[in-house]
Amino acid sequence: MTTFTRRGLIGGALAMPAIIHGTASAQTGVIKLALLTPLSGPFARQGELERLGAVLAVEDINRKGGIKALGGAKLDLAIADAGANVEQVTAAAQRLVADRELVAGMGAWASSFTLAATEVTERAKLPWVTLSWADSITERGFHYVIATSPPSSKIIPAALEPLLALAGKSAGKKPSTIACINDDTAVNQANMEPLRKGGFEKLGLKTVMDENFSVPLSDATPLIQRLRRARPDLVLLGTTATSDSRLLLQTLTEFGLGQGKVPVIAPSANWGTPEMLKNMGANYLEGVIGVAGNWTSKQQAALNQDLLQRAKEPWLIQDTLSNYGHVLLIADALERAGKADRDALMTALLATDTSEGPAKLFLGDRLKFEKTGRRANPVPAVFQWKNGKPLTVLPEADAEAELSWPRPS
Amino acid sequence: MAFAGQIEALLQILAAGLLLGCLYGLMCAGLGLIFGIMRVINFAQGEFMMLAMYAGLTGVALLAPGRSWAFAVAMLVACVAAALFYGLGTLTHWALVSRVSGARAIGTADAGHTGQLILTLGLSLVLQNGGLMLFGSSPVSIPNDAAIRSWTLEFAEGDVMLFVNQARALSALMAVAAVVLTVLLMSRTGIGRQLRAVASNPIAALYMGVNVDRAFRTAFGIGLALTAVAGVCVATFYPFQAYTGFDFVIIMYAGVVLGGMGSVGGAFLGGLLIGLVQQLSTLVLPPQLQNTAVFVVFLAVLLIRPQGLFGRGVERA
Repeated sequence: MTTFTRRGLIGGALAMPAIIHGTASAQTGVIKLALLTPLSGPFARQGELERLGAVLAVEDINRKGGIKALGGAKLDLAIADAGANVEQVTAAAQRLVADRELVAGMGAWASSFTLAATEVTERAKLPWVTLSWADSITERGFHYVIATSPPSSKIIPAALEPLLALAGKSAGKKPSTIACINDDTAVNQANMEPLRKGGFEKLGLKTVMDENFSVPLSDATPLIQRLRRARPDLVLLGTTATSDSRLLLQTLTEFGLGQGKVPVIAPSANWGTPEMLKNMGANYLEGVIGVAGNWTSKQQAALNQDLLQRAKEPWLIQDTLSNYGHVLLIADALERAGKADRDALMTALLATDTSEGPAKLFLGDRLKFEKTGRRANPVPAVFQWKNGKPLTVLPEADAEAELSWPRPS
Repeated sequence: MAFAGQIEALLQILAAGLLLGCLYGLMCAGLGLIFGIMRVINFAQGEFMMLAMYAGLTGVALLAPGRSWAFAVAMLVACVAAALFYGLGTLTHWALVSRVSGARAIGTADAGHTGQLILTLGLSLVLQNGGLMLFGSSPVSIPNDAAIRSWTLEFAEGDVMLFVNQARALSALMAVAAVVLTVLLMSRTGIGRQLRAVASNPIAALYMGVNVDRAFRTAFGIGLALTAVAGVCVATFYPFQAYTGFDFVIIMYAGVVLGGMGSVGGAFLGGLLIGLVQQLSTLVLPPQLQNTAVFVVFLAVLLIRPQGLFGRGVERA
């Protein structure tokens, strides 16, 4: 027998608007998704590239008739500025989750931003899809986070292992020393953690320099001076802001270490942005190797061409491609869930196992997730600057060019 | 060999600190002039510098035939930008700043400081976001060969090598020239005398027939002109975007306070000291702590000399 108490009735009455709202959006033919990304501050350009991908995907899905399982409901993107620091991200995430009509969210680009944003969205039980790399994003026992990129711990070895093997063949000598310069953001520290704990040793590399700096860098001279004295065979430059990447490469060149004299590996998508080419010039970038969570694939040349034309960008990078893919992934999960309900959507997202649709936007064969929300068998993208363009060189199935050992020009 | 390495590191970082410090000094001189004469804390100074950076980029894109000439053209553009920003400064003062400063603020409870604070902070936000809308979010810089070229000096039969970045070195010379000209203007000309009189005691200067508002307008214009020169110089080697001003404004304030409020030369030397401390600290501390080192020195100096290194008094220089 059900007993109605006064407290229970009041609680039920208060909860009604939220319950009604949860399904109202789908009934009115609109499904609201959030995109939280930096649109101001030093990372605004990366946020703009993320926004571009999500907007184009929403346009495409709506043009093709919306979410068919929900009667052709259209997607509506609520875009919020993540700003320049963790406090701003948290505040923006709190404002976003106050909107009970939101069914899912995406963002917030930098791992430190995503870690902060998902603390808020997890409490609101809002499914959140991100391209951020840090392992900790999916290792906190959260139930509403999906990460489509490989974790940080797999990013750098993905480039180093094949490159070291190649160096032995083409340069005649396997590199044995490495210098590391990283900014102190969550992602770059997470990238380095397993390498510092024996990762480099396993690869047969001795660390001759390991320095961190705070964003933004005012002058790279002290760092590059140390690097010059350390005489490494390879240098790893982990930067989050394009301006820092540019300053480091510029100073390397100034000290006579650029243009392949010391091969550069950069585990960050910002090293492949058109701004790097515009600011540095093709000569100084030639041979630089970048690692990212996603990049273009020769298998998807037609799709990339269509997106390129509409995006009005010279080429597409991880930020645009992955966010286009995230919207497609959420749409695919909504079709399978059959209702615009957060829990049902999250279950559908975790059950994703496809090589079609959204999977085409990510490198590797299949798009599938582990229980933690991290993509199963993720494939890091390795790109290399060749004749003024950052081309995918690994994995081989997606490669647009062959990985080559940088040689002094 | 290890000793040579240490000497090389010391020389290299000393050179980097001096070159960067000269530009910090120029930025501080611009801000220090405005504060010293008008007693207005201009929170939008960094954003005016950002505007000058974009002006420099546009000017060089229009005038330079190629990367090899771009730096020389940028230096000419810096001079033109100084004139333009002098005009922009006087206009901004006439339209906005004069409403909350000068004769109108004399005798008010807080000498107009609250209004000035809100006005310049508001202006800073408008310029930042306006810049983002107008110029976009991509970091840019003035493409030129000098930024990636250096003069190499060899000592001890090549054991010690010193790399001096061409763009930074020539920009530092430009900064020193601009500050010397400003000091001469302040000490040797009638306008300078009027500005010093207004800085010393605006009411007395008013009674002596000095047009205080016009003097303030001139000071604001010169302050912005100096910042514009610094902005164009920095843009030749430093990637910037609409929010770059904020990265420098804290350094500017620290330099002005460290050097002594109200002293143009002192503000320049304050900025120079900040550049040196910022770079030299990397010899003993991790690079992450560069700015911590700056503010430890800043606090230590203020503890010993509250009026700053070259200031004559806290109340009025």
